[in-house]
Amino acid sequence: MPKRFVLLVVVVIAVATVAVPMSQAARKLRVVATIPDLKSLTEAVGGDLVEVDSLTRGTQNAHEAEVRPSMMLKLRRADAVVENGLDLDAWADVAIEGSNNPSIMRGARGRIEISRGIEVLEVPTSRVDRSMGDVHPRGNPHFSLDPGLAPIITQNIVDGLVRIAPEHRAAFEANRKAFLTQLDQRMAEWMKVMAPLKGAKVVVYHPDMIYFLTRFGLVQVGMVEDRPGIPPSPQHLVNLIRAMKDEQVKVVLVEPWNDVKLANRVAEEAGARAIVVASSVGAVKGADNYLAAIDYNIQALAKALQ
Amino acid sequence: MRACVMFMVVFTTLLPAVALAQSTEAEALRRELDQLRRQQEESQKTIDALSERLKRLESAPPAPAPATTPTPPLGQAPGNPSSQMTPLSAADLLRPRQPFGLYQQRGAGQMLFDMGVTGDFVANLTQHNVQKAEGGTFPGQENTFFPREIELSLFGQIDPFASGLVRVEAGQDRRGGDINVSLAEAFITLLALPYGTQARLGTMRNRFGWSNNVHEHDLPWVDRPDVYRIFFGDEGLRESGVEATWVPDFLPFYVELLGGVFNGENETAFGRGVLTQPLVTGRVRAFFELGDTQALQAGASVASGQTRARLRSTLVGYDLKYKYRPDGWLHPLLTVGTEGIYSVRRVERGVDVDGDGAADFGEKGWRDSFGWYGWAELQPWRRWALGARYDSTQYPDAPGWQWAIEPYVSFFPSEFLRFRLAYKHTDRQQRFDPAGNGGSARLVDELFFQATFILGAHPAHPF
Repeated sequence: MPKRFVLLVVVVIAVATVAVPMSQAARKLRVVATIPDLKSLTEAVGGDLVEVDSLTRGTQNAHEAEVRPSMMLKLRRADAVVENGLDLDAWADVAIEGSNNPSIMRGARGRIEISRGIEVLEVPTSRVDRSMGDVHPRGNPHFSLDPGLAPIITQNIVDGLVRIAPEHRAAFEANRKAFLTQLDQRMAEWMKVMAPLKGAKVVVYHPDMIYFLTRFGLVQVGMVEDRPGIPPSPQHLVNLIRAMKDEQVKVVLVEPWNDVKLANRVAEEAGARAIVVASSVGAVKGADNYLAAIDYNIQALAKALQ
Repeated sequence: MRACVMFMVVFTTLLPAVALAQSTEAEALRRELDQLRRQQEESQKTIDALSERLKRLESAPPAPAPATTPTPPLGQAPGNPSSQMTPLSAADLLRPRQPFGLYQQRGAGQMLFDMGVTGDFVANLTQHNVQKAEGGTFPGQENTFFPREIELSLFGQIDPFASGLVRVEAGQDRRGGDINVSLAEAFITLLALPYGTQARLGTMRNRFGWSNNVHEHDLPWVDRPDVYRIFFGDEGLRESGVEATWVPDFLPFYVELLGGVFNGENETAFGRGVLTQPLVTGRVRAFFELGDTQALQAGASVASGQTRARLRSTLVGYDLKYKYRPDGWLHPLLTVGTEGIYSVRRVERGVDVDGDGAADFGEKGWRDSFGWYGWAELQPWRRWALGARYDSTQYPDAPGWQWAIEPYVSFFPSEFLRFRLAYKHTDRQQRFDPAGNGGSARLVDELFFQATFILGAHPAHPF
């Protein structure tokens, strides 16, 4: 009996020695993105080779995500994590540290930050402090919804995925190329739609659309928040409404997680219209992936500004 | 002979596996080499292209400024970049200068860690007899406004394998007393351990229950729950030692298992303070997502060590926390939680045989006690929250118990500033005179005001 038992153990070990690496090689790469935009872009680049999950939903404010242990579980199983950087998803550090997964800790191969190479807007050039609101010292971090920056973002994702799975480099690059071809076609259409609206003035609730607006030649003349992240005072709203009337602003852009009622009231007072934008993939119905989210914003803006 | 047969079986079983592994490894190496070669070729091409571009740029006239520049938002703070760029007038020069700005020092010589300061001030009003007996929630600080906790936190990555955190706190313990500065926490966390494990070494707030690990200024109430203050002392359980956690990845929900070994220096519950008779802790924490909007966390904890009198003291705790956060909300609408601790202590009691009122000899026995609290908070608006906590606690080293109710309202002008107003009624079963001066604090009514701010970096708090 003991001999048979020893034999069985030996066989199990031998099978496991062969089978475990084979099964690992066969399984998809598990990637976790901090925000849905990056999930969508990682899916576009990774194709069938990756399984992507997001820590937040589009209807949430990415600045203030609550760190839940369920995030830690997703991260515990991840081969890589894709993060926005520039302090937008700084909360992810706590979730990642709580995941007990050394492959994705800061400095590890599986940590992919996609802000590398981005020409960051609104970088403070003087001393910053919290009297300026929830200001980002390294610049505005909401660049992911500028389709013109998608080539850089996807390149960063490819570079990161190749670090953990170099054997799939060709596939990732082919996927990226296919995605960018699709993006180029859509970009030409979007540019055509937005061309007559160039120079149009808009007001935002929170300053998270500046990259998008700059890309399509729209001008942000104010924001509903007093300062980033600080609710508006009545005096600020009075000034804003007056300025909107003077500047003939027709549109107020508001995120679904912000105070849509207040945005509507401000817009109404100023003779404008508030539109809920896809501030992230999945923020509104129909914005289910990256291209659909951009398309939603283009169509909504074009309709409101005509 | 048997051994020889056994060896042959093992050898023949493992041989194909080893051969296959070797060939797989060789194949992987070959692929990696090809990869590297391709990467080198691509890098060379990029360098050539960049050199060419640089040459072109150097020979071309300067490019015009970009046509589109983002318009600064209305109502921008006075400290905005454009206003800072104007030359200083004589009046500006005479005005007091701005304080030393840490962020300006970044750039070439960046600080490689984060720094934050939190300030927590408390004012409390209560009856005169409570002040005399020093029987309020903040003993010795009744009817004063005092700096409870000013905390400097330094934290960041030490290297790719570990992160570190140091917290130094200053506060006033007694009315009119000096400000005491002490080391609140200092530990390293080893992040690169295998099999989903992690270890923390140093002085730390123990992960016993849910609220013990939360700092005073981050608690949803003005004061720490009675059960913690009575069973572990005013500051809760804070020890020096090692804690290790394991997060299994094969379960459908999050579970964290924790084990720790500490000195056992907490005077209220333990006090032995030596590693030869250590305080041993354990905790299991599970988290369940009940859809996108609701979540429940459940935990069980244990801590067992020796008292200064070398007698066993064991505490077992439970904790539950539920949150409902409607989709898209920046804050939870409803939070409900409860924690309880059951304490079993070996104690030495005096036995009076002859009935003369004096103990004739000592006898060892067990004393158990239980305490718990329940709490609910409603936050219908982003800036306002209101809630209430109910406490009920038996005394671990004396007969009797006490209960308390504490409704409160919190106002958050921003993420970094909070004001809180609370009322607490405490009813003790027996006369309470900790100061020993004849004062009494059986029934206590207290009004609290709390102001808390955060300067600089502050890590996010998990659920």
